[in-house]
Amino acid sequence: MNLLVLMIALPLLAAFLLSIIDRASSFAARVIGPLVLLATAAIGLSVWSQLGDAPQAVQWGGFQAPLGITLYADQFGLLFALAMTIGTLLLWPRSTGNQLRSSSLALLLAGTGSGLALSGDLFNIYVFYELMTVVSYGLIASRGTSGSFASTLRYLVISGFGAALALAGIALVYQATGTLNLAQLAQVAPEKLNNLQGFAAFVLMLVGFGVKAELFPVNMWVPEVYATASSRVSALLAGVVSKLALLIIMRLLILVFHQPEALTVLLVLGILGVATGELAAWRARDLNRMLAFSSIGQLGVMFIALSIPGNAGIFAALAVAVHHLFLKPAMFLLAARWGGSIRRLCGAAKTSPVAAGLFVLLSLSLIGVPPLPGFWAKLLVIMPLLTLDQPLYYFAVFIILAAASLEANYLFRVVMKLYDKQPTAVPHKAHATADLATAVFLGGGLIAAVFMLVPLADRLDSIAAQATDVSTYIQTVAPQSLEGDVQ
Amino acid sequence: MTALDNLLLISAVTLVIAVLAGNSRVGGWLVTIMYALQGAALMMMSGLGYSTLTMVQSSFSIEVLSQQLLWRFDALSWFFALITIGAGLFCSWFASGEWGEKYRDNGGSLRLFHGALALNVFSMLVLLASGDLLTLFIGWELVSWASFLIMALAGGKAFGYAMRYISYAFAGAMALLGGLLLIYAEVGSFDFQSLKEAVPTMSSATLWLLVVLLTAGFGVKMAILPFHLWQAKAYAETPGPGAAFLGAISSRMGLFAFIVVIVQLIGISRLVEMKIPFTFLDAQDLLAWIAVFTIIIPTYIALRQHDARRLLAWHGVGQTGYMLLGIVIANDLGSAGGLMHVFNYATYQAMLFMVVIAVIHRTGTSNLNKLGGLFTRMPLSYLAMLVGIIGLAGLPPMNGFVSKWLIYRSLIVDGSPLLFLGAVIGTLGTILSVYKLIHNIFLGQLRVEHVAVREAPLSMVIPMMLLAAVVFVTGYFPGLVLDWTSAVQASIGIPVLAHHLGGIDMKGGLDMIWIVSVLLVGFGFGTLVFFLGGRSKRVHQLDNYAGGHFLTAETRYHYSDNFYPGLMHLIGPWYRNSFEWLERGLISAVDTLSTAMQGLYRNAHPSYLLLAVVVFALSWVIV
Repeated sequence: MNLLVLMIALPLLAAFLLSIIDRASSFAARVIGPLVLLATAAIGLSVWSQLGDAPQAVQWGGFQAPLGITLYADQFGLLFALAMTIGTLLLWPRSTGNQLRSSSLALLLAGTGSGLALSGDLFNIYVFYELMTVVSYGLIASRGTSGSFASTLRYLVISGFGAALALAGIALVYQATGTLNLAQLAQVAPEKLNNLQGFAAFVLMLVGFGVKAELFPVNMWVPEVYATASSRVSALLAGVVSKLALLIIMRLLILVFHQPEALTVLLVLGILGVATGELAAWRARDLNRMLAFSSIGQLGVMFIALSIPGNAGIFAALAVAVHHLFLKPAMFLLAARWGGSIRRLCGAAKTSPVAAGLFVLLSLSLIGVPPLPGFWAKLLVIMPLLTLDQPLYYFAVFIILAAASLEANYLFRVVMKLYDKQPTAVPHKAHATADLATAVFLGGGLIAAVFMLVPLADRLDSIAAQATDVSTYIQTVAPQSLEGDVQ
Repeated sequence: MTALDNLLLISAVTLVIAVLAGNSRVGGWLVTIMYALQGAALMMMSGLGYSTLTMVQSSFSIEVLSQQLLWRFDALSWFFALITIGAGLFCSWFASGEWGEKYRDNGGSLRLFHGALALNVFSMLVLLASGDLLTLFIGWELVSWASFLIMALAGGKAFGYAMRYISYAFAGAMALLGGLLLIYAEVGSFDFQSLKEAVPTMSSATLWLLVVLLTAGFGVKMAILPFHLWQAKAYAETPGPGAAFLGAISSRMGLFAFIVVIVQLIGISRLVEMKIPFTFLDAQDLLAWIAVFTIIIPTYIALRQHDARRLLAWHGVGQTGYMLLGIVIANDLGSAGGLMHVFNYATYQAMLFMVVIAVIHRTGTSNLNKLGGLFTRMPLSYLAMLVGIIGLAGLPPMNGFVSKWLIYRSLIVDGSPLLFLGAVIGTLGTILSVYKLIHNIFLGQLRVEHVAVREAPLSMVIPMMLLAAVVFVTGYFPGLVLDWTSAVQASIGIPVLAHHLGGIDMKGGLDMIWIVSVLLVGFGFGTLVFFLGGRSKRVHQLDNYAGGHFLTAETRYHYSDNFYPGLMHLIGPWYRNSFEWLERGLISAVDTLSTAMQGLYRNAHPSYLLLAVVVFALSWVIV
C-alpha cells in the first residue's frame, strides 16, 4: 500500500522542493502547494473508499513490526489524516510577509499531521509530533509582530516541557515492555503496564501530548497564541492540530492504557478545562481570545467524553471533535476582520450580513441548540455520563451544562453587538472573499449534517467501533507475530 | 397526510409566506388568512377538544441515535394550539393594518416581524405536538429562540432585555436537558409511557432531583419565582402586537410542558408522597407556595409600574401563578380552573395589550403619567380595556371570574386557607393596578396634546372587539371552555369536572347564565331609570373639580403620579428588589471567577509549576 506512504511523503517532499521550484517560477511555487494537498486528499479519499471494514497496515523500510516503521490506516486515523490535509488546504496561510516560507510550513504541517494520524508506533508518533510542533512555531511567528513572537516563545517553552514529559513517558513504557510498536504494546499492556509505572507513563504522555490538545494545566499558551497568530493559523491549530493530539491520546487509551485511574485523570482535567476555559471566555474582551478560551472548553468536553469507558466514550469524543473541526475554523475565519475589542463590533452586521448570520448559526451549534449537530454531539457525551451513575460523572454533566449557559451568554453578547443599530464611528471592513467562502463552506457542512444526521451518526459509530477493536489492530499489524517474543 | 401533518405544513407555509411577502400590505393580510387556515386545520381535529378523539399522530417520524422521534396531538396540545393560533391570528390581523405601515415607516422590518411571529406559532405547534421527551426538548429550544428573535427585533434597550431572557432561558433549558437525560439514565428511554411506568419505582432522591431540575427548566419560561425578573421588560419591549402575542401565550409553553411531564407523567399524587424533611410540607405544597408567591410579588410590582406595557406584562407573570396554583392543586376544580385561566387570560391579555398599543399608535406613549381622558377620543378602545380589566381582575360577568372562582373554590375544598388568602391578596393587587391602568389612560381630563386624537383604526378595533366578545361570551357560557378543559383533564388522567353550559353542578355551584342575566337585568333597569328619570345633566369632560377647587380648561389636571400614596406608605418598605440584588450578586460572582481564570491564563507560571509538580510526583512514584 504505497498510497498511504504517499499521503505523508508527498507534502513533505513538496515542502522541501518548494524553495527550489520558486527559483524556477514563483507562480509554480504558489500553486504547487495547494495542488499537492489536493492530490494528497484525493489519495486519502481513494484509500478511504478501498478501506471498508478492514483496516490496513504498511510496514515501511522492509522490516516487519516491531522493527520496521508501521503505518496503520483505519477509518479513524484516516479521517484525521484527511481532516489535516483538507483542513490545511482550506486554511492555506495567506501570509503578508514571506509567502514561500508559510507555504512550506503549511505543507510540512499537513505531512507531519498525516504521519501522526497514521503512525503505528510510539516512536514515530513522537517524531511526527515534535516536527509538527516545530512547524507550528514557525507558522505562529510568521506574522512577524512582537506579540506573535512573545506568544511563540511561551508556546515554545511549554511545548518543550511537554515534549520532554512525553519522551519520559515513552521511555517508561519502553522500559516496562521493550517495545514501542502499538500493536505489540496492545498485546503486552494488560500484564506489563497495568501497574503504577504504566499509570505514570500514561500521565506523562497525557500531559506531554496534552499541550497541543489544550489539556488543562498545560494550555496556558492557547489564548495568547490564538489572539496573536493570523486567524488562519489559529483556525488550523484550534480546529485541526488539537484534534490530532487528541487522536494520539485516544489511541493510547484504546490500545495501551486501561487503568480506571487513567479515566479519572482525564475526567478531572477535562472538567477543569471546561470550567476554566468557559469562565475565562466570559470576560474576554476580544473575539479571538474569546474563541481561544471557548476552544479550551470544547477540548475539555472531549476529554470528559474520553473518560467514559468503552466504545461510547470514543464515539462521543469523536462526534464532538468532528463538530469542533468544522466549527472552530469557521469562527476563527470570521474573527479575522473582527479582531480587537468586541465593543468595536457594533453594527458590523450591516457591512457583512452573511458573516454575521453565519456567526449566529455557528454560535447556536456551538452551544448545542437542537437540531444543529452541536446538540447531538453534546447529547452523546451526556447520555452515557449519567448512566455511569457516579458523583464525579454527575458533576461533569453539571459543568458541561453550566458551561453551555455561560457560552450562550458570551456568544450572544457578541451577536447583539453585531446587530446593534448604532454602528461605531470606525467603518467595518468586509471579510476577505476567501475567508468568507471557506467559513460559509464549513457552516454549510454543519447544516448539511442536520439533514444527514442518521447516516452520519451511524458512520461515526462504526468508525469508533473500528477504532476500539483492539484485536483487529493487533492482527492487522502483525498477523504472524501474535506470539512473538518481546524483550 | 394526517390532520396534524396538514396543520404543521400550513404553519410552515405561513412562515414562508411571512418571510417572502411580509413587507407588503397584501402579504400581511395573506399571512393573517393563513393563520385562519391553521385554525381551520385545527378544527379538523376538534374531536380532541371534545373527547371524541384521543390522539392524532403525525406521519413524520425519524430515528436518531436509536431514539424514535414522534410528533402527535392530544387534547392538551389541541387546547393550547387553539390559543396559540388564535393569538397569532388576532395579533397578525392587528399588525397588518396601519400599525404595520407605521412600523415600516419608522424603519422596522415588517418582513422580519411577520416572519418572527409565524416562526413563534410554528415552533409552538411543534412543541405542543411533541410525542416524547427528546422532541419536547427540541420544540422547547425552538420556542425559546423564536421568542428571543421577536423580542430582539426592536433593538436598543430591547437587546439588553432579550439578552437577559436568553441567559435565563438557556440556563433553564440546560436544567431541563439535565433532567430529561437523568430520566433517560433511569428509564433507558425518552418515551412518555416508559417514564410513567418507571415513576413508582424511582427513589425519592432521584425524583426530587428530577422535580427540581424540570420545574426550574419549565419555571424559567413561566417566570415563576425566583426566575421572574426577565419576563416583563422583555415582553414590554417587543414590538407592538408581538408583545400581545408573547403576553397571551408564549410563557404558557412552560405550563404546557409542566403539565405534560410533572402532572401527567410523574403525577401530583407522587409529589404528595415526597415529604420535605423536618417540615410538614411536601413537594406539592412547595409548588403551590411558589405559585402563590408568583401571584403576589409580581402583581404588586405591577402596581408600581409607570408604563402601561410593563404593568400588563408584570400582571402576566402574576397570572401565571394562578394557573400553576390551580394545576398543582390538581383536583377536578383546580385543574379545570388553571387550564381555563390559560384560555381566559390569553383572551383579555392580548386585548389589553392591543388597547395599549393602539393608544401608543395614536399618542406615541404608554407612559401612565402622560396620558389621561382618552375616553372621549377612543371610546371603543376604552370599552375593550374595560372588558379586559374586569376579566383580569376576575370579576363577573367576564370569563376571568369563572376561572378564578374555580381556583379559589378548589383551594377551599382542598382545605388550604393560607393559599386561598395568598390568592386573594394577589387579586386585590390586581384590582388596584388595573384601576390605575384604566384611570390613568382613559379617565380624568384630556391632555392638551391629545385633543386631536382619534379612535384607533378598524384594523385594530375589530380584533379588540372580537376578543372582547370572546371574553364576555365565555364568561356568560363558561361551559364552552369547560368542555375543552374536561377533555384535557380526561386525557392527562385527572378527575373530570362535571359541568354544564353555564357552570358547575355542585353544592354551592356556579351558574354564570343566571348570574350574568341578573346583572344584565340590573343594568337594564338602571339604564331605564337613568334615561326615563330625566334628572341628569350632561357635563363637559373638563368641567370638573378636585380637592374642593374647580379645574379650568387652562390648567388641566389629571392625578396619575404617586398613585395610592396611602397604600404605598404601608407596603412601600417591602419593595426591596431582593431578587435584582440576588441576580446582580450571581453575575458578580461569575465575573469574579472569570477574572480569576483570566489571571490564571495570563500567567504562564502555573503551567510551569504544575508541570514541575507532575515531574516530581512521578519521579517520586517511580523511584
